[in-house]
This record gives sequence, structure tokens and C-alpha cells, in this order.
Amino acid sequence: MEEVTVNVIDLNQCDEDFIKQLIELGAEELKECIQCGKCASTCPMALAGLEFFIKRIIHAATLGLRDILIEDPSVWACQSCNRCVEICPMDVKPYEIIQAVRRAAVRVEACPASTYEGLRNLYRFGHAVFPKGFEERRKKAGLPEKPPTALSFDELRKKYQEVLKQTILEEIAPFPLD
Amino acid sequence: MKKIGLFLGCNIPFNRPDVEYSIRYLLNELGVEIVELEGATCCPAFGSMPSLDVVGWATASAWNLTIAEEKGVDIITGCGSCYGSLNEAKYHMDKHPEIKEQVNKILSTVGKEYKGTSKVWNVINYLYEEIGLDNLKAKIKYNLNGLKCAVQTGCHNLWPSKAYPTNEDNTFNPTRMREICEALGGVAPHYSTITDCCGMGALRSQASAKSLALFKKKLDVIKEEIDPDVCITGCNSCLMQFDAGQALLIEQKKLNYKIPALHIAQLVAIALGADVEKATALATIPLNGVITKIKGGN
Repeated sequence: MEEVTVNVIDLNQCDEDFIKQLIELGAEELKECIQCGKCASTCPMALAGLEFFIKRIIHAATLGLRDILIEDPSVWACQSCNRCVEICPMDVKPYEIIQAVRRAAVRVEACPASTYEGLRNLYRFGHAVFPKGFEERRKKAGLPEKPPTALSFDELRKKYQEVLKQTILEEIAPFPLD
Repeated sequence: MKKIGLFLGCNIPFNRPDVEYSIRYLLNELGVEIVELEGATCCPAFGSMPSLDVVGWATASAWNLTIAEEKGVDIITGCGSCYGSLNEAKYHMDKHPEIKEQVNKILSTVGKEYKGTSKVWNVINYLYEEIGLDNLKAKIKYNLNGLKCAVQTGCHNLWPSKAYPTNEDNTFNPTRMREICEALGGVAPHYSTITDCCGMGALRSQASAKSLALFKKKLDVIKEEIDPDVCITGCNSCLMQFDAGQALLIEQKKLNYKIPALHIAQLVAIALGADVEKATALATIPLNGVITKIKGGN
């Protein structure tokens, strides 16, 4: 992953509207962050050596540094493990801020290709993770080729698609919901 | 007779169906009726609907939760992400009536309604609380004969604790899996990185080398501190990292030892007499030594 430098902050880049957008998208406690760094002490992203990890992401979010947040792919490497939420002394819920950044990013189509692939699989098959060759693997475990999920029930899968069409997916999906 | 809705998700039925076989086997052996959740979908995974908005996430989860509610059962899952996503979505809906209202408005168009009546269990907590260690002990056919287990509960099985209906006394010092392994006749010592992340998940997808390096750090500590016969995971994604991920490290010549890995459901199923071929059908790292030790003393 590319190294990202945020050590020198150009305050002209601060975007108040972006802060508001993040708050609307779930980063409700963003302004409570005191940058104590407890989240970073436990974040797998930080321990794995990603340059732009939780504390820095929250810092950039509190300043509304839109371009850095949208362009850097680190938020998509977050494990959603919620260690940061568990230990944050200010109850900022740092993970919810990561999600808010992701939500802002998908609105300008700034997400990894795998995100769209997962959404397409979710819509088409009812499963975001849908790897090839599963029939053979299931046989080895003595199970029927298809599990009794939406994959096996066309009518139910169509109903599920009707449900998804009424969500934000309809606006965001770069593929037809048909 | 106890009943439970079996929530499969994606990775278990498609990548590690031997874990699905094992969950089915152990529930049958323990006298729990499996209720199929026909038409269930992805939980949804954190990188999908949860990354778009809360209502879309909650709606997709509620689709699954209502299937169990309609059948009047709780849900069990062997996947940490499913356990996390379903419980967190449920928490958002139960805490925020306006989210629940928006979700139900959508669901009503297909004749469904989310009520919030079904609990979501993981395998660990279900065995620990609903089955009970004494009951489990009484039903095993094969004692683990002192098999040394390094346990890995998994992030989503622990946090965010406020979203979960039940949990460890101290989520930063989990003991339930250790107690289950010991009830089966194994030993499961503490080790210093017991709550560290395995690196599977989004990190593995987006930064594979860093994810595997993080995993290796954990594995090295396990090897050095307790040198176990097997790693036992509470989460299917952890299992995929501990098994196939470990095999990848060996292939890349970054690891010069190997420790086989099982999901807790596989270990319990084997102790209860499951067909080992089926219960471990998709394992990459050979389990011969582990099986011999389990079956050796009986």
C-alpha cells in the first residue's frame, strides 16, 4: 500500500461540509475525539503497519480532510473488529467513523473493485461472498450441492432483490438492479 | 426439545462446508433440532451494505432475522462476521426506533416485519450457556487425551460487547473456548496474544502481505509460548487464515513449522463421533496427528 503523508496539514484543505456529511453518515461522535491514541494501540491496521491507521483517519475526519480520506484506500482495509469502539474513552466509536468515510467514498465511486463485486454478488445470488467451485467442496463434506439459502429458492431471492431495490443500493450500484 | 435456526452465511457453506457439516452434526448429537432458515442471505458482510448506509445494512440483516422470527427460533452461526453484522444491525434497530421503522416500511412491501424476538448466538456461547459444559462432557465419545489447544475466539465474537446478548466476563481475557476444550479433555493454556487479530477479512483482501505478516507474528508467539498440537478458532474467517493462510505462508517460505487448525464446531463434532473425513474435508494443513491423539486413547 502507498505511503501517505499527513504530517503537515494544510488547513486550507479543511472542508466543513465534509465533516457534516460524515456526521450524517454515522460519525455522530466525531467531534468528541481527543486524539489520545488508545484506538491505535489496539487497531490491527496499525499493528499490521498501515501508515494511515485509525487515529490518523479520525484526525483527518475531525479536520474534514476530504481528499485524503476519499483517496486513501486504508478505510477499506479496516477489519470492522470494533476493538477501537470497545476501548475509546470518549465513546467516539471510531469504527463508525471508518464506515462513514466508506459511505462518503462510495457516493463518489471511490471504493475498491471488490466492493462492487461483493454488492453485485449480494444482489444476484444473495451472497456477497460467492466463490467458484463450492459445489465440489460441499460434496466433499457430504452436503447437498447448494445450501438452503436464497440461492436455492428463486422466489425468495426475487423477494430479497425487491427489498434491496428499496435501499440505498438502488442509487449507488454501478450495475442494473434487474 | 431445543430448536435453533442455523444461519449459514457465505464463507461456511461455500468455502468451509466441513464446518457446516460439523455444526449440523454437533447440534443433532446434542439433541437440538435444526430449523433451516430457507431463503437466508449474506449477513450482510461489513464491506457490502454496512459500507453504504445504516438503513440498508439493517434492512438486509432484518431480512435474515425475520426468517428466524417467523419460525419462532433463535439463530446460531459459526462465522464471526455473521455474528457481528446480525447482532450490530439488531442493536441499531432495537436502540433506534426510527431505523427500525424505516426497515419495516421496506420489509412490509414483501409482507415481512422485524420484531426483534430472535437472539443471535455463536457456537461458543451456545455450547457454553445453552448446552453447558457438564452436559457436553457427558455426551462425548472421544476424550481429547490432553490435546494441547491454542484458542482464538475472534474479534467479532467479542466486540462491540454492547451489541451482544451474552459475552465473556472480560472480553480482553476470554476463557470460554479454553473451558470448552478442557471439558472435552484437552488442555488450553493462556498465551499473551490470545486476543490479537488473525488478520483475515478486509485487511487480507486489501493488504494481503501485511495481513499475513500480522498473522505470522501471532502464530510465532503461539508456537514459542505454548507449542500446541492444534489451533482452535471460534470464527470461520479465523479458521481460513489459520489453515489456508498458514499454508500460504509455508508456500512463500515465510514459515518453517506448521500447526493444524480446526473450528471449535469441528473439534466438538469429532469428540462427539463425527465422520472425520467429512468434518475436516476442506482442511489444507493435515490433521492426522490431531485425530490420532483424539482417537488414540479410546
